Amino acid sequence: MNKSGRLLAVILGAVTVALIVIGTLDPSSTALAYAGGQGLVPSSSTPELAVRDLAAEIGMREWGRAYGSLANKAEFTEQNFQNDLTGYYLSLRTYATLDHFQVRPLHATANDAEMRLVLYWSTVVGTSVSTRDLHVVRDGDHWDVDWPVAKKPDVPPQVIPVNYLRWDVIYPGAGDDWGEQNVEAPHVRIVDMHPVQRAEGVVILGELLNEDIVPAYVSVNATLLDKEQHPIASAGSFDKISHILLPKQVTPFFIIFPNAQLSDVKSIRMTPFSTLVPASADPVIAIDNEHLNPVPDPSLTGQVINQSGQVVNVAHVLGTFYDKSGQVVWVAGEYLDRALLPQTPEAFDIHIPEDLARDISSERTVVATYSERGEQ
Amino acid sequence: MQKTESIEASQRPIPISLSLLLATAVNLPLMLMKLPLKSYDTNFHIFFASHYLHHWFDPWNPKWYAGFSQTTYPPLPQQWVAALSPIFGLEMAYMAVQFAAILLLVVGVYRFAKLWVSPRAASYAALATVFVGAESFLVYSAGQLGTTCAAPIYLNALPFLYEWVRHGKGRSFLKAAVLFTAAATAHHATLLFGSFFFALPVLALAYFDRSEGERVAPPAFVARALAITVVTAAAIAVALLPFWIALIHYPVTQTPIPHPSRANYILSPQWGLNYFIVPYGAMILALPFIFWRGSTTPRLRPLLFGFWVAFLLGLGGTTPVGPILLGRAFEVLTMERFSYWAALLALPFIGLLASELVARYRTRAIVGLSVAAAFTCGFAVAWSTYLSPEGGAEGLDVKSVAAWLNRDGHDQYRYVTLGFGNQISHLARLTDADSVDGEWNSGRMLPELTRYGGGALTNSKFFNKPGLDALRAMLTDADHYGLKWVFVHDPSYNPLLAFAGWRQVDSLDDNTVAVWSKDGVPPATPLNAPQIPPRWQGIMWGICPFGSSILAILVLLIPEKKRQEAAQEYPVDENLVPGRMVS
Amino acid sequence: MTGLSAMMCCAAMVLVSLAAGQAAMAQSSGLTLPSSIAAGSAFSIQTSGSGAGTLYIVGPGQVIKRDVQGGGAAFISAGSLHNAGQYLVILTGNGPSETQALTVTPAAQPAALSFLAKPSRLPVGLSDGITGAVYVFDAYQNLITAPEPVNFELSSPAQPEQTRTVITRNGAAWTEMNSTAHQGNDKFVARIGSVTSMRVVEQVPGDPCGLQMTASPAGSEVKLATAPVRDCSGNAVPDGTVVTFTEAYGNSQSTVDVPIKRGIAAVEMPAHPGALISVASGVVMGNQIRWER
Repeated sequence: MNKSGRLLAVILGAVTVALIVIGTLDPSSTALAYAGGQGLVPSSSTPELAVRDLAAEIGMREWGRAYGSLANKAEFTEQNFQNDLTGYYLSLRTYATLDHFQVRPLHATANDAEMRLVLYWSTVVGTSVSTRDLHVVRDGDHWDVDWPVAKKPDVPPQVIPVNYLRWDVIYPGAGDDWGEQNVEAPHVRIVDMHPVQRAEGVVILGELLNEDIVPAYVSVNATLLDKEQHPIASAGSFDKISHILLPKQVTPFFIIFPNAQLSDVKSIRMTPFSTLVPASADPVIAIDNEHLNPVPDPSLTGQVINQSGQVVNVAHVLGTFYDKSGQVVWVAGEYLDRALLPQTPEAFDIHIPEDLARDISSERTVVATYSERGEQ
Repeated sequence: MQKTESIEASQRPIPISLSLLLATAVNLPLMLMKLPLKSYDTNFHIFFASHYLHHWFDPWNPKWYAGFSQTTYPPLPQQWVAALSPIFGLEMAYMAVQFAAILLLVVGVYRFAKLWVSPRAASYAALATVFVGAESFLVYSAGQLGTTCAAPIYLNALPFLYEWVRHGKGRSFLKAAVLFTAAATAHHATLLFGSFFFALPVLALAYFDRSEGERVAPPAFVARALAITVVTAAAIAVALLPFWIALIHYPVTQTPIPHPSRANYILSPQWGLNYFIVPYGAMILALPFIFWRGSTTPRLRPLLFGFWVAFLLGLGGTTPVGPILLGRAFEVLTMERFSYWAALLALPFIGLLASELVARYRTRAIVGLSVAAAFTCGFAVAWSTYLSPEGGAEGLDVKSVAAWLNRDGHDQYRYVTLGFGNQISHLARLTDADSVDGEWNSGRMLPELTRYGGGALTNSKFFNKPGLDALRAMLTDADHYGLKWVFVHDPSYNPLLAFAGWRQVDSLDDNTVAVWSKDGVPPATPLNAPQIPPRWQGIMWGICPFGSSILAILVLLIPEKKRQEAAQEYPVDENLVPGRMVS
Repeated sequence: MTGLSAMMCCAAMVLVSLAAGQAAMAQSSGLTLPSSIAAGSAFSIQTSGSGAGTLYIVGPGQVIKRDVQGGGAAFISAGSLHNAGQYLVILTGNGPSETQALTVTPAAQPAALSFLAKPSRLPVGLSDGITGAVYVFDAYQNLITAPEPVNFELSSPAQPEQTRTVITRNGAAWTEMNSTAHQGNDKFVARIGSVTSMRVVEQVPGDPCGLQMTASPAGSEVKLATAPVRDCSGNAVPDGTVVTFTEAYGNSQSTVDVPIKRGIAAVEMPAHPGALISVASGVVMGNQIRWER
């Protein structure tokens, strides 16, 4: 066994260990992402690091570790903490994963600090943002977070009378007096349609009315046509519409054609679809305290209240914004990532593009809902 | 006299037939149980094979991604599965091909190890091959048929490379070139990285050995090395020409898809268990020996360096080596294959260690090594049960979904599944309908899928925001692709479908699968994709890769001329005195 | 021409060719038959000459074959030849084949009506909102192209019957009717003589008309309730129809979409002094109330 060989073995071994140490202490962004953004030894030596570590543990769903690091954990259980983040009832948050987070210091002294934690949750319907202002306290050489847990909302015992309005569909038998044609699609009508050019492309805004006496499952497709009446592009309303329309109900719709130019468009072919579906008039959702907030941060805020007795798992608040002449100038929406409990208000905040905010003089809000039993 | 016999017996190689029998005993029952069907990729390979079975000369497969070209993946093992399927059926043909690869690996490791260590140590290496965790992991958990087929072919080619470069034997040249080509048609990455990890050490070995026995001058050595490189490269270029054309015209530029093999295994110990402990098993205990013996024995240093680099890359994001050496490829490749290659490169050392331990400690060593080997293999085989690769599709029977798609004209439209895990390949094989989803990420060209960095749509939620963004983009463009059906095995997707204008129209498989539909979707039409390979490429693809394997079998039948073996000095423990072995 | 008809025509041509090809049969023969018959009626074809022969009657969707003796008659029973159209009658035998044309016309008596009524559901009081189209067929489903008067009758329990009489052209007649002022299932009947076909047309209430609400205090809230919601014809708008209550106060507003239950829509909203409360349903606006308490 030669000396150079031994030296080589030591060098290779040392380099291997050194590489592992480097890779662990200064991990690549990919590796760090898998570790939830946390390094080898979580450090809570500053208020910001304490909040970051907590957020990383929340992101990795390490509920036990996250709960264990809290300063005020004696005030609630780990299950309360977890439910506060994932929801007490089935909701968008239940299956959401934490995409990323931001930590901003608000105020700090030698022994305590106020930090703002913005959590960006990835849900099936898009990103949901929640903001928590945290009190962080010093404990010796490290900092702990006071988690402002939102305890399970208590719904007072009550009886909510529901005259259950429901439509079922019975299809005809062959050869009866109704003939072939009676399973007729509900009559719907586009009552407003307005294309606008935005930076992101051509946007078609409008409203659709169910003028029938039966509920309709609706969607709207639009096709842009050039001067020779050739299609340029085709798109649908996707989720910027309330797909279930009760009799005489109106929904806004919003169709976007990314990268299209309105100047290339000669005409637009609108195709509303409607299907007769079984539906329920419940739940009834009231929208309270709607308020149009002006620039610099224009938005529509308010609260939705589930006036029915059942839990609504997901609600989608859609705002239609009109100018003084009553023309639709924008449609926007927000998903609520918390379940709507009976008679319990939930706040919403729909952002409005700043350049349009000054033109808006009125709005109308509708709420589409999803309950786990499978009805919308 | 007895002592002398004992010494000879202890230095005699374990018959390769015994290792093959052991490999059969371990793997054949598992193959007959079709255990690999639970793995991540087995159904994917069977799906490809199913296409070759019906369209041998047409690599354009419309069943995934609204159409994709199978020339984006080397076809050899899948074509063999297709070729054997009329006899065994597709699933059992897969098992047969995989089983053959396992047996071939035993032979390949033996022949490869014999370049470096004594025949007896090489025979131990071959025996250890049966229990290598990385092989079991790739076969039963990852289902990487291409990698596990290419590696043994490649290992079997390397001794011919050595023979050619060292002794200039034309037959070895031919056999090496044909086997390398066949290995490349089984898995391109094995060839690419194998050249660095396996071939360069063998060339270095041949260079070190050039002055022993039959001498070879350095210019001749270089000329031979260049000749085999050029000829093999040309043969591979021709055999996989449609693959190269597809790669050049449509390079993989899509947003990288996260893969946990790129994690730091210390910061993410769960992935360390999956990608380090399971593949290496008890081999981890031998790492000091590998480094020590590989460094102190000059002849083993090339092998050590090959192992070391593969080992570091196999550690994924645990070290900065992967991102530095591979660049963007680090975000595209999965790292477990490097651990597999590192394990294969370590086997000559393992064989050496085992032979020395057995020589020194006899029964105790045999028992200890057997236990270590059994636990390593057993843990890796069982791992697919503990960390299920099925992606939430456990117990899902896709036959009812396939039957639904195949009736009443439902197959006029495209479909996508959610929560079907690794069963989408199985479903694609059973149904006549086409999907916009798939499991071969490098073959997909639809912008909705390539833009965001998510994997298969059916697993969207596991890719977090990128995966869900891709799913929403695809549902938004449903009309364009004739996408009318969504089969949901995971109710967490229901809110998206409900709000995006889809309605549940049916339920299947005891209400475990919901069928959602969208109104107004036009029937699917074939996409006039520029990626559709021309006819001549289809014919080449059907002939060259499979033909290269047939040719490899034929040239292997050419007998080798017996060469007078020069006395080869194999590395042994300098402290190991044969007399003490029996004392 | 349907595929089947085309096939039969081809078959006829083949048979004609076959018949023409048998030129070796020199013995003369002849056919005596009416040039036109009504579908389904019985008739006979008289042959002349001698020897055995075969008689083919080939037409749209139908072929009849009979073995005949020269000089005898072939009887085609009632109902045998039932498809209207042009036929070829071919006699083959020992002599040259003989061919004659035969026209089969639809039976004069209508036996069935194919009646399409659209829509099956429409609001009341819609002028020309209902369309009815009729195709007239005989007992053998031949379209009767001869002009026939068709009576269309739309009847409802509470309204006088609407009738129209339309003469068919090329076998079809259509008309438009007004929906009545009262909701309910109206009978829409098409009639030719004793042959009738009925469809049911559901007439549903139209848009709410004169939507009125009242407001009353209910603790800290204001209780809003509409009067029974009716359309302009006085029909009760069905339960489930959405009525929107909007309460504007200061720079804020509250909105509730409430389905009508038992004829009225009712809701409780926060009571804001000075709030302007409005009600609407679809595109129809109702009254406004300023809540001053």
